[in-house]
Amino acid sequence: MKSGFLRLVLAALCAAAPLAAQEHAPAPQAPAADSAALHAATAGDEAGAQKTAGAESTAKKDIITPHITDGNALELPSLNPDHGFATHFALPTGWPKFHIGSFEVDTSPTKLTVMLWISAAILIFLMVSAARAHQRRAAQGLPPKGLAGAMEAMILYMRNEVILPNVGHHGEAFVPYLLSIFFFILTANLLGLVPYMGTATGNIAVTATLALVTFLVIEIAGMRALGKGYLGTIIYWPHDMPLYMRIPISLIISPVELMSKFIKPTALAIRLFANMTAGHIVVLALIGLVFTFQSYLIAPAPLAMAVAIMLLELMVAFLQAFIFTLLSSVFIGLVRESHH
Amino acid sequence: MRSSLIRAVVLLSATAAPALAAGGDAPARGLLDPAGGLMFWTVLVFGTTFFILSKFAFKPILSAVEGREQALRDAMDEAKADRELAAQLLAEQKQQLDAARTDAQKIIADGRATAEKMRNDLLEQTRTQQHDMLERAKRDIEAEKQGAIAELRREAVDLAIAGAGKVIEKNLDDAANRALVDKYLSSIGTK
Repeated sequence: MKSGFLRLVLAALCAAAPLAAQEHAPAPQAPAADSAALHAATAGDEAGAQKTAGAESTAKKDIITPHITDGNALELPSLNPDHGFATHFALPTGWPKFHIGSFEVDTSPTKLTVMLWISAAILIFLMVSAARAHQRRAAQGLPPKGLAGAMEAMILYMRNEVILPNVGHHGEAFVPYLLSIFFFILTANLLGLVPYMGTATGNIAVTATLALVTFLVIEIAGMRALGKGYLGTIIYWPHDMPLYMRIPISLIISPVELMSKFIKPTALAIRLFANMTAGHIVVLALIGLVFTFQSYLIAPAPLAMAVAIMLLELMVAFLQAFIFTLLSSVFIGLVRESHH
Repeated sequence: MRSSLIRAVVLLSATAAPALAAGGDAPARGLLDPAGGLMFWTVLVFGTTFFILSKFAFKPILSAVEGREQALRDAMDEAKADRELAAQLLAEQKQQLDAARTDAQKIIADGRATAEKMRNDLLEQTRTQQHDMLERAKRDIEAEKQGAIAELRREAVDLAIAGAGKVIEKNLDDAANRALVDKYLSSIGTK
């Protein structure tokens, strides 16, 4: 049983195993489980724990997978212990669908969509009220205080110490985008630590989209900064070599250059996704130990560890938002500075 | 086009990608299989957030910060200018003070020189006046002396005449005798 948890954590950290199915999920369609690792990894509730370890039991309830994946219902606080102190609020389905090629886009809201809305609303409210406070205080010729001051400190740190030095000359144009990315990711990360909420940035769709947008920003920044020279960032063409050397070198290096363009945002997406997911899995696995051992006596140790991991997660929430922004700045700076 | 790019991105990342295979047609979604709806919403929500934040939050905050930095820079420049002005004024005043001191010393020296000259002049004048007075006194004394001598002589003549008249009242007329005596007396006076 314990090794099952380890395997689950390991699998999720490697980001290689399909942790797809959720058997008792609130979602209307109950997806089928398809992997042995998943069954072994399911955390036990009362029903599951009665079975012997390692059995191919479908009665075990997976508490981790629904938590780290998207769903079609919101979890809301409830005083009913029979349903785990939670009620499920089903989200509307059947919103318009459209296809981009063979890629289906269903605009029906999911749990993480709602989380995105909430985090965006919180962020916009905080930032706009901070800006209002700034204008009010600036009219009196005073520096801001309280929340506005804290926001200003973060904004100025990111702008002066992270974004501008890395993006390079005339980097001011990229400041709003990179600041938005930072605060958007940070808010979503922190919202994921709130009970009953979900981590939008712990989903590959969200991180991949953010990375894709960043990819476009990086490449457009490169095109605007280099003009025709942008082709030089795709096709490597060393001018200081004789022609008979240039061609083979170019043939070897160009694919690498091209691949690096795609690997950079991929790394951004995977890093953020894996970091946010891994922390939650570890916390849930530690809490799951209590149920696995079927003893209240064992509870303090895993809970203490879970609290420690939650504190670590708090730091990781800031760290990952910072790293995403830092690396985006570095990539934008790299492509703008590259002259082959 | 975009979806294929996303798939390429995901494919590159997941080296061992059984998740993709699992997620293909089945409704179950692997951890690494991005959901289109969520991507759509991410673009929409992030785009809106970006637009609102950059327009209504970052722009006013950064402009307020820049305004404050500008005010600070202005204040520093002003202070620097003030300090330079103060130094200049101090130098000017020092120069003026030096000039005033020199003037004062010159005035004192001049006054002293004038006083010296005046004293000398006064002394000279006094001496001249004294000399003049002395001269005048001498002259007066001389004149008085001459007058007195003449008077005395006249008195003596008159006395002599009176005496002689008493002596020789009878035979000699006054005029002839007076002439004789005068002649005699003047011969004495000239001798």
